[in-house]
Amino acid sequence: MINTLRILTLLAWRNLWRNHRRTLIMLGAVVVGVWAMIFMTALTMGMVNDMIEDSISVLPGHVQVHHPDYLDDPNIANLLPMPDADIEKTFANAGFRAWSTRIKVPAVVSSERESRGVTLLGIDPQRERPMTFVDYDAVEGRFLEGPADDGIVIGHKLADTLETELGKRIVLMSQDPDNDIADRGFRVVGLFHADVAAYEEQYVFAGKQTVQKLLGVGDGVTAIVVLGDDYRDVEPLYDKVSALVDGGVTVSRWTELDTYLGTMLRVMDGFVLVWVIVIFLALSFGLVNTLVMAVFERVREIGLMLALGMKPSSILGQIVIESMMLLIIGLAIGNLLAWVTIKPLESGIDISVVAEGMAMMGAASVLYPQLRLEDVVLANTVVLLMGFFASLSPAWRASRFQPIEAITKVN
Amino acid sequence: MNLVLRLAWRNLWRQPRRTWLTTGAMVFSNVLLVFMISLQFGMYRLMIENSLKAFTGHMQVQARGYIDDQKMRQTIPDVVALAEHLRDKLDSDEVAARATAFALASSEERSYGIAVFGVEPRFEPRVSSIPGLVGEGRYLQGDDAAEIVIGSVLARNLRVGVGDELTLLGSGRDGSFAAVVATVAGVFDSGVAELDRTIAEMPLGLFQDVFYMEGSGHQVVVNAQRLGQAAELQSRVAALLPEGQDLVVQDWDALLPGLKQAIQADISSAVFMYGVLVILVAFSVLNTQLMSVLERTHEFGIVLALGLKPGRLGRLVMLETAMMGAIGLTIGALVGGALTAWLGMRGFTMPGMEEMGAKFNLPSRLHPEVTFASLLSGPAVVFLFSLLASVYPALRLRRLQPVEAMRSA
Amino acid sequence: MTAVRCVNLCKTYRQGEQDIKALDHLSMEVEEGGFVCLSSPSGGGKTTLLNAIGGLDKPDSGEVWIAGQRIDNLGKGDLAELRLHRIGFVFQAFNLIPVLSARENVEFVMQVQGVPVAERRAKSMEILEEVGLQGLEDRLPSEMSGGQQQRVAVARAIVSNPALVLADEPTANLDSKTADGLIDLFKHLNEHHGTTFIIATHDQRVMAYAKRLVRMLDGRIVEEVEQNAA
Repeated sequence: MINTLRILTLLAWRNLWRNHRRTLIMLGAVVVGVWAMIFMTALTMGMVNDMIEDSISVLPGHVQVHHPDYLDDPNIANLLPMPDADIEKTFANAGFRAWSTRIKVPAVVSSERESRGVTLLGIDPQRERPMTFVDYDAVEGRFLEGPADDGIVIGHKLADTLETELGKRIVLMSQDPDNDIADRGFRVVGLFHADVAAYEEQYVFAGKQTVQKLLGVGDGVTAIVVLGDDYRDVEPLYDKVSALVDGGVTVSRWTELDTYLGTMLRVMDGFVLVWVIVIFLALSFGLVNTLVMAVFERVREIGLMLALGMKPSSILGQIVIESMMLLIIGLAIGNLLAWVTIKPLESGIDISVVAEGMAMMGAASVLYPQLRLEDVVLANTVVLLMGFFASLSPAWRASRFQPIEAITKVN
Repeated sequence: MNLVLRLAWRNLWRQPRRTWLTTGAMVFSNVLLVFMISLQFGMYRLMIENSLKAFTGHMQVQARGYIDDQKMRQTIPDVVALAEHLRDKLDSDEVAARATAFALASSEERSYGIAVFGVEPRFEPRVSSIPGLVGEGRYLQGDDAAEIVIGSVLARNLRVGVGDELTLLGSGRDGSFAAVVATVAGVFDSGVAELDRTIAEMPLGLFQDVFYMEGSGHQVVVNAQRLGQAAELQSRVAALLPEGQDLVVQDWDALLPGLKQAIQADISSAVFMYGVLVILVAFSVLNTQLMSVLERTHEFGIVLALGLKPGRLGRLVMLETAMMGAIGLTIGALVGGALTAWLGMRGFTMPGMEEMGAKFNLPSRLHPEVTFASLLSGPAVVFLFSLLASVYPALRLRRLQPVEAMRSA
Repeated sequence: MTAVRCVNLCKTYRQGEQDIKALDHLSMEVEEGGFVCLSSPSGGGKTTLLNAIGGLDKPDSGEVWIAGQRIDNLGKGDLAELRLHRIGFVFQAFNLIPVLSARENVEFVMQVQGVPVAERRAKSMEILEEVGLQGLEDRLPSEMSGGQQQRVAVARAIVSNPALVLADEPTANLDSKTADGLIDLFKHLNEHHGTTFIIATHDQRVMAYAKRLVRMLDGRIVEEVEQNAA
């Protein structure tokens, strides 16, 4: 059996190179196909990954906890039932990668000249640092130093719109739990940049305790935000967080908080598979053609081998092995080529030309391709598996040759 | 010539399986291309139309610089008169004036910052779909009644319904304090979260009073009958603008920059994918034709010895490819077109389309339409590249020496 | 011991409108170590008879026995086994697998049989020497003359000691000198190894060497001549 396998492999290999040109052209096609599969997948997944990381840095986190009414009605009246101190006790030693509590409510900022509606974030800056989209080091002026910080940090664009600048005072106005207006003047201590310009206009940061005082909510917060390790694997984190809180709150996964991206992730995974299959189908016509032509040319020697006593299954095996060899070489080169072309691009492809379009979809203006092992394995597996089945037909027909007919066949 | 045609045709069918497999690759690609291109074109068109129809309009007249700064004081003087003037000269009533300001809206229980728009109730429905999407109550009537129409999310957030009162506080054009109490006349549901959460509309006359506009406004929205006519309409509008007021016409691309770019990004990735398909088909054709040529070396040798010029032989190969290509194109276009038309009737949906579509103003079911361009553009490119692929085998023939050729098997 | 025994073989082909009787109640016996030539005008049934004996084709009726084993009622798989282990073939042309060297072609059958490498190697070198091809073992068929290719085919046919070697027009494509050489080889192997040969041919020189000449016509044996008694 081993001996037969050896001779079949030898025959398959030599037959592969019998017709250089044909094999090389087919190989070229496979290489192009495999490269395209992996390259496109890396680009797409990179884009999706960026979008999701971006969204997660804004939410922030993979899992959040709110008052059951808060998500529909993000008002200060819908505070979490437990006070911050209690949350601190339960969550501090739970071993999360990063977590924090915050107050997030709609507010109005006014300068001397303009007013704008914004989202006020009362945060603990050190806790949120690993989770947030703001690069504290890149902030003009300074970012907040602690939850009791007195200053306010706004986006560059907002500063332009309000015609204000670092060091000036602006008035922050929001609603307290009694539906009265709570307002206070703040000094602008920092201006932040964000990849997405809209964030600069929408979000203003203040210290959590400062906001609590402003709104008169004591130790209340509107949300707990938790960051896990892998946004694709959010269930364990969800369970862990749910176990730490009583009923009377809503625990949400990021996919529920951003349904667009949650869906997109699923859709894109499916898209990758479809893309790989489509390419392979396009290749398969050529592959089957090549095998059919090869078999056709070898009718007499197949007949000879059968006459000499080789089993039909061995003939089938030979053809299948030949096809798989071709695919394996093509995969090897294609994978290598993909790796070689993606690696240098991993530091980012500048697509600022379509920057605002990307912002609309939620992506940044630099694209980072993401080469994932799962995707590479998927592409290779599909090619091998489908290639195997594609080669069965010509191989089967070859094995059905009758020795006498084959031997006496006149071309 | 007839002989060559017949010869080419017969040659194709000497190896029927090989010919069918090669055309099969073409048909497969063509069907995919027709479907996807039809889907894409239709989708883009829909995206743009829906987005523009919702609120933005095909173009807007604005003060220069307003588009970047959005300052209250960057106004169009006598905006109602200008709108009327444009209506008259363009002979169209798809023209509407607007003014806008930021305001704090307060109900009994809640307050939110919103963008309030003063609109012309008679003409606003002609340039925006919002008036038609008022689900509760009714749209605005009259030019200065103290009423307001708000989005469904805003209504929910403010906890108000039709008949409730809202207090609006803001700054007027000159920076002074502006306030008004208005009754909610209607609640609209556009399906676009942005609009439903932040927009409120009141009669332009009321707005101009409250915000001390002195007859000015910020935008005149103009719609063409069809998107394709927008560019031409834009130049006409520009010509009609009064001198000395520093007004400009902004096209939809400037008003919604993200949209065009999102489409461009999508097109680029699609082109990449289509390109790969076309190249794979070309490889297939190259392989087939090269093999076909090499197999016939001997008989080509004879034919050359008999006096046929090598150039004619080359043309024979290209002709064979053209025939295969024609078959692939025809069948591919037919099947692709039929499939697309059928899906167009039935409606086409994929898992996840509903959520993703909402973001881009697309319905959850798409109805791809087959147009001349979408039917033929893909297959035509495949045909072209197939011909290109057979250039190499054809060139090989030119170098063939008769005696050598006849010696091969 | 009888190497081959055919009893009342019948085989009819349909060609267009006509039925052609390739074998018409044909019976024949060949003893071990025999050297039989089948001759007939073209068509005439000699190839059909050879195919029937070699298990490549089934007769419509009658029996075929190889070394005391009945083979006409065997299934395809068993026939393949039979051909692998017990029968050697030499065809008129296209005897060799183009991608294998001379030695590899000779070893081919042994490899499929499962003979271990060392033994295969030794046997194939030995037999190549015997057929006069030492030094050419690594050549591909495309690098050998017609005569050399046939010799390789013969080497392969006998290397695993088959009960019988069937050759169909083995000299048809060879010039006279080469053909003579090939026939000498057959004779040598027949005499030294005792291998039974059945050769279908209408080459006079081959017929001259046979120990028994069997003339066929329209599927029947019309003449059997013993000659060249050793």
